[in-house]
Amino acid sequence: MALSPLDSPKPVPNAAKTITAKAKALTLSNNAASSPSTHASTPSSDGPQDLSEQLNDQVRRKYVQGGRLGEGTYAIVYSGHLVSDPSTLVAIKKIKVNAEYKDGLAMDAVREVKHLQELSHPNIIKLHAVFSTRDQNLNLVLEHLPLGDLETLWRNKDVSYGPADIKAWAGMLARAVWFCHENFVLHRDIKGNNLLIAADGSVKLADFGLARSFADPYTKMSCNVITRFYRPPELLYGTRHYGGAVDVWSMGVVIAELALREFFLPSETEIEQLDRIAEVFGSPTEENWPGVSKLDNYVPAAKENLKRPQPLMYWKQRFGMLGDEGIDLIRYMCKLDPRSRATARQVLEHPYWMAAPRPTPKEKLPRNAGGARKMAEDLKRKGGEVEGEGRADKVARKLDFSALKR
Amino acid sequence: MSRTAQRNGATSKRLAEDGDICPVCKSSRYLNPNMRFLVNPECYHKMCESCVDRIFSHGPAPCPIAGCRRTLRKARFRTQTFEDIQVEREVDIRRRVAKVFNKREDDFMTLKNYNDYLEQIETITWNLINREDVEETERKMAAYAEENRKEIARNESTAIQEALSRKAREAEELELAQMKREDARQEDEVERRRKADARKGVVNTQAKSGDDAASIAREGQKVVLKKSLARRAALEKQRDSDPFSSGTENGEASSGFTFTGLKKRVAPPPEKPYDPFGGWSVQREYFVLQNHYDWDWLSQARTNVAHTTGGYDVNDYCTRALCDAFSGFGVFIEDEMAGKNVGSTPSIATAAATVVAGGKADMHMDDVF
Repeated sequence: MALSPLDSPKPVPNAAKTITAKAKALTLSNNAASSPSTHASTPSSDGPQDLSEQLNDQVRRKYVQGGRLGEGTYAIVYSGHLVSDPSTLVAIKKIKVNAEYKDGLAMDAVREVKHLQELSHPNIIKLHAVFSTRDQNLNLVLEHLPLGDLETLWRNKDVSYGPADIKAWAGMLARAVWFCHENFVLHRDIKGNNLLIAADGSVKLADFGLARSFADPYTKMSCNVITRFYRPPELLYGTRHYGGAVDVWSMGVVIAELALREFFLPSETEIEQLDRIAEVFGSPTEENWPGVSKLDNYVPAAKENLKRPQPLMYWKQRFGMLGDEGIDLIRYMCKLDPRSRATARQVLEHPYWMAAPRPTPKEKLPRNAGGARKMAEDLKRKGGEVEGEGRADKVARKLDFSALKR
Repeated sequence: MSRTAQRNGATSKRLAEDGDICPVCKSSRYLNPNMRFLVNPECYHKMCESCVDRIFSHGPAPCPIAGCRRTLRKARFRTQTFEDIQVEREVDIRRRVAKVFNKREDDFMTLKNYNDYLEQIETITWNLINREDVEETERKMAAYAEENRKEIARNESTAIQEALSRKAREAEELELAQMKREDARQEDEVERRRKADARKGVVNTQAKSGDDAASIAREGQKVVLKKSLARRAALEKQRDSDPFSSGTENGEASSGFTFTGLKKRVAPPPEKPYDPFGGWSVQREYFVLQNHYDWDWLSQARTNVAHTTGGYDVNDYCTRALCDAFSGFGVFIEDEMAGKNVGSTPSIATAAATVVAGGKADMHMDDVF
């Protein structure tokens, strides 16, 4: 029934583009103003405002900015609440004017706004509104998630949790990723730090600063995404065409970390990261991953260094918390060859979720005393960064525009 | 002491020897100052530790007191808690009965029902204590315990939990009291020092100026008072905001001994099976994805090593393209904006996004990354 809809992937005329942009701005502010215009927008004293300014003002006046929760290189996070209802808390993420992008907005902010406004799911952080302030700063009004993140949770030795709790958290994460993928959004920075916990205990995927939609064929994507510990081998080997499988790998690593209560594949450099992966999953070769030798950065392992994948015993010893089904799932999610890796949908269809123990209901999950400060830490961070490490960590955020120039 | 001896018919009659001579081996405390007496709740006959060791070390044996002949086991011997052996026995029986009949007031509909229940329990206890219908009562009790094993266990665990939380609360209270005392002590200390300083200040001011002493002293006192009051208020406030957590839930039990007025237990509704998708589903309403599209541009991507090796899925692209093209059909912006915060279905949300983004124009903006 369906015909292929794409006839020519060429740019559309300029006029059409501007119209789209305007329409977008309008709907965005409408999103925020669910009760349209309680404040009659009055023109400010310094002259008449145009429509967009009026709309912007309307949105801005709906929120009261509270105290500062934290500041990073990329954004400042304030707490805030609705003017009409002070009990409805929000977090206002104010993007700093970036030296790198003098003439426009930081890419992270654009990506974040663009994708978050499209995604509405209980396990994805909600973007309530966007407005700009006098100094051309972009403000994202985000959901208030006061209970820290998954990484602080497994780091915090005062919190004890069991297999059912892991399953509950993993389930919420898997739903979020599945939903992103169903809507053609690649998150590209899934890690414990970006999985914030809401007041009701549910996990919410945040920080869409590296997200993008699925690419067209022949369109190159940056391979320099995803925080190193969670980066799948195909990205480390520099593939420019990838799909949802990259997020599934990261998800597998996050679940493994929850079970281990330590980093699953920690490394200092990308080479070391590949070694770590090879130690656990075996060295990637043409046998277990057809075509891998054609990837840009592939270096074949020497015959004597060829590592074999860890046996099932290794998994049973380290991941007893997950049970047999869970181990099977993790191994399915972290297959070297992205083609045989689970898709986000297959992850949710895995028998692990139906096996005993049943996942803990979210209101009964163990909690962290992290507080709002931790949320700010997480929101202000740039994607791809690991805290407290060397300067090489910021590399992930640098985007490669070479594809565009060519 | 004398009262004990009078009522304690089972053991020796003689006052002075009562506590000090073992009725079995006749050794006295005079010869063995470390002597300890033990009783067995089977017959409550008293004997010294060495006799227990001697007679019962090799397994159960009959009680050595003349005319008793009950079979006793070493494990059950223990030191007496109460001097009066009758009291000791009664307490044991009560404990045993209470362990089986451990219903609580909340299990009954009215206070009267609860009182009736208590009376019944008391009758049982009384029978056992006074050795009336012992066998019949014992039999009934055992049957009841067997029938209601689950209820009994649940009530018991509730009671244990309650005891634990009570203990925790008591500890907390104690700590709070200690803190209060410590605070008060510190405050006194500070105040004393301040007064001393103030006095010194008064003396200094007097030395410098010719003001009258009384007014300066009054001024100083006022300041001190205000400060300490403020401090005390702040402390009180802080303490008041510390909430105690308490409260446990109670289960109910079914009848076995026929207790009337028990509350009906409402079984919690059976849990639905866990849904990994959390009740969400994404269905493409307006198109069906084909396995193959006869188009070189796509087919080449399918077989291109650079695409396949990295996990790029051309089907994903096809789905997205079709979705971009057709999903706008079912969208009515007005309806959607009205239901925006109520919770829109994913397909609608996506479709809306696609419409808003204007399909292709947006895809091309994407390519920058």
